[in-house]
Amino acid sequence: MIDQDDRDLRGAFEALRREAAAHTPPFDTTGGAARRRLVPGARRRTLVLAAAAVLAGVALVLVLTPHRPGVQLGLASVRWESPTDFLLRLPGDELLRLVPRLDVTPSTINWSIP
Amino acid sequence: MSPDDLRCELERLHAATFGWALSCCRWDRAAAEDVLQASYLKLLDGRARYDGRSSLRTFVFGVVARTARETRRRAALRRWVPLASLLLGPGLADGRPDPAAAVARADATARLVEALRRLPGRQRQILHLVFYEDLTIAEAATVAGVAIGTARTHYERGKAALRKLLEGARE
Repeated sequence: MIDQDDRDLRGAFEALRREAAAHTPPFDTTGGAARRRLVPGARRRTLVLAAAAVLAGVALVLVLTPHRPGVQLGLASVRWESPTDFLLRLPGDELLRLVPRLDVTPSTINWSIP
Repeated sequence: MSPDDLRCELERLHAATFGWALSCCRWDRAAAEDVLQASYLKLLDGRARYDGRSSLRTFVFGVVARTARETRRRAALRRWVPLASLLLGPGLADGRPDPAAAVARADATARLVEALRRLPGRQRQILHLVFYEDLTIAEAATVAGVAIGTARTHYERGKAALRKLLEGARE
């Protein structure tokens, strides 16, 4: 692939290769260092797995624990009256809420504003 | 390929792979050793698995190139985000040239290394793969992860730029 014109570059790279080869660290040194680097990686992986297991355990406990209802407030039984509610009452509005009876005449109704 | 076979092959290719790691790290020896260790680690623990689609040398060189890129990205991230070192673990080499190696280097090769350092990354990679590692341009394209036409362009432009830089250094 190298042209004849590239002999100068080939020579320069050849010299560089010889020099680099002379200073190449032994394979066992590099391989040994690589294996030593594996240890922190494995430790980190173990920590991540342990953290994931703890989180999964907590999630499982939360899911499996039966739901305990808190204090329930029966809103239907609560009635609050505003101090100005009387302003909304109309004279004779009982007639609208009560079933008409024969013995009750308009004269018995209290027409005064409460 | 069994782990023992892989180990033997890596040992056979070790000098060439170290040269390639040096080129990927701009001839920073300490960084190259770190990258080579990390690459061997990927190959030996199975994170990078050889599937036989290319020659083993091309595959190993590809792993080294990717590892060098990852290392550079991590180093850049560490520079910009100081807290990232807590997540990414201890940093690798800081990218400074090794003074002892620089002194020991002969003048001609020192000029060549300096010129290579000043070349754009892709041109440097392709020239290294072709001239230093005796790969074809097609193989160099595979290792660098570029199309063959792109590799050929980098090769031609890289040669011209390198000659210019070397001539400039001689004057």
